[in-house]
Amino acid sequence: MAIKIMICDDEIDILDVTQMILEDAGFEVIAVSDSLNAEQIFLNEMPDLLLIDLWMPGISGDRIISSLKSNVAHTNIPMIVLSASDTGKQTAMSCGAEDFIPKPYDIDNLLDILNSHLIEKSNSKY
Amino acid sequence: MEDFLVNLPDFGNADLRLFAAALHASSNGVVITDHNQPDEPIIYCNNAFENLTGYTKKEIIGHNCRFLQGEDRNQKSRNLLRAAIKDGEHCTVLLRNYKKDGKMLWNELMISPIKNPQGIVTHFIGIQNDVTKRVNAENELVEERELLDEQVRERTHNLEESESYLSAIVETIRESLIVLDSELKILSANENFCSFFRERYQDIIGENLFKIGNGQWDIPELRQLLLNILPHNNPFEGFEMENEFASIGRKMLILNARQMTLKGKYQDRILLAIEDITERKAIEYRKEDFINIASHEMKTPLTSIKGNFQLLEKIAKRNNDTTYLKGFATAGKSIGRLERLIHDLLDVARMQSGKIQFNFEPFSFRKLIEDAVNVLEQSSPEHKISMTGIADITVEGDFGRLEQVMINLLSNAVKYSPVEKGINVHLSMLSGYCKVSVTDSGVGIHKRDHKRIFERFYRADEISERFPGVGVGLYVCSQIIKEHKGTLWVESEEDKGSVFSFTIPLKQNQYGN
Repeated sequence: MAIKIMICDDEIDILDVTQMILEDAGFEVIAVSDSLNAEQIFLNEMPDLLLIDLWMPGISGDRIISSLKSNVAHTNIPMIVLSASDTGKQTAMSCGAEDFIPKPYDIDNLLDILNSHLIEKSNSKY
Repeated sequence: MEDFLVNLPDFGNADLRLFAAALHASSNGVVITDHNQPDEPIIYCNNAFENLTGYTKKEIIGHNCRFLQGEDRNQKSRNLLRAAIKDGEHCTVLLRNYKKDGKMLWNELMISPIKNPQGIVTHFIGIQNDVTKRVNAENELVEERELLDEQVRERTHNLEESESYLSAIVETIRESLIVLDSELKILSANENFCSFFRERYQDIIGENLFKIGNGQWDIPELRQLLLNILPHNNPFEGFEMENEFASIGRKMLILNARQMTLKGKYQDRILLAIEDITERKAIEYRKEDFINIASHEMKTPLTSIKGNFQLLEKIAKRNNDTTYLKGFATAGKSIGRLERLIHDLLDVARMQSGKIQFNFEPFSFRKLIEDAVNVLEQSSPEHKISMTGIADITVEGDFGRLEQVMINLLSNAVKYSPVEKGINVHLSMLSGYCKVSVTDSGVGIHKRDHKRIFERFYRADEISERFPGVGVGLYVCSQIIKEHKGTLWVESEEDKGSVFSFTIPLKQNQYGN
């Protein structure tokens, strides 16, 4: 069964290209553009990893992460911030995200980071 | 003594010799003048008088006492003396007399008439007392007092001048200033305070700061800060407060306050300076917002372009489709350049508004250099970058920012060395600092531009014609190195290449600011 990654970004172009990149790398991808639905979709889908933007209309990425991380069932799921904001790294670290990837990202770098978190996650299961 | 006794009238008194001996032994100068002879000649003087004046008896006897006054005849006290002699009265006067050697002495002269049984004055007895030391001391005292009075007058005048000078400054200054006593009652306020906060001077003087304007100043944090000033001489600076003022609306203020350092009655007073920064803050917020939005808006489409491009390139390589490889390489470089340019321009904007953030932590210097070299080797495989020197050290700094400097310097070395492809990175340690030099054999830089190339948007003439760019990269580098308390400089000769070097301290707090 393919590893499931959920991406949440209000920028459709970025959402599409990131989805293509991840699918090309063999992941199953859930792409969400409306941040207000993100939390519910996450709970329904229970992805292996969440890749999420910060600045979005409706609800910001850091608030979604904080809310999801408050549930102990999600503490083991890597949540990674993907943002063009300069202060994104601090915001990501303070809301409980596992990592931060600045936009524009480099494909290889993106995949390396996601894989390392997925490996860490699978190791911690056992 | 015998001469004197011969000339004295016969008193018929056996003790006369004793009196004469006593006169001779007296430490005061004593003279006796004959009133019945013309011009009041001296007929007797004792040894003390000789000592006092420096004249010998034979130079004294027969002269009028005025010989002691030399040329100094216009002394007021002489009139008193003359009148007393004329009227046969007792008197004491102070005279300036002159010794035989010309030295002045203050003579306190007491004269008493000697009368015969018929009450007619026959002689005068004069007792001289050298009071020069006393008079000089008195004169000095008077002079000093006068000098002191003069100084006091001068100081008072200066103070009055300073006060009007200072009050002119205080009233002209655009900050609001108030002076508070230990109970935070307003003792004085400048015009700006009254006009800015729309208060009448007479209404606020003597009032507690927290009671004026319906208690609009009564903010717990400010109260605490002000109350802490006097007990511990604990001033505060740059206290920012945003507050709703009934008469002027919401204002952002910056407050500084300190104990007045003057000694005496002013020492228990607080000087509070208030500056309105509402407008400045609004501009800062707008600028910051603009930078953040611009940053987001430029990076978002670039993310899509770069992602799509890298995906296409990856698929093409996987499928061994070599048709567009050259095109991909060119586009990849352009995307990289655009990305760096956006970064640099945003950095410049942030540096200008002081909003750039640095994250200092220890890291391996070798990793920093190797990472940067790797980036350049991938994007410019035709250039050969060699590394020499020592790099196994830990440095405290912002890894990302210093990597940005290294990539910038290496990119420049590549960009300005279109023919000679060799680039060297040399690392060295020098007493608490590490030094990096990036050497190329490219086009070089004219000496006149060695300093100016680090300025914002500056581009050397010859360079700008041949190479594209906007002139922000080196400015950003120099600001980053400056933030690390280091220096960045260039040594270069046209057509021979350039050496860009920077130093940074191994530890950031090692050498202070």
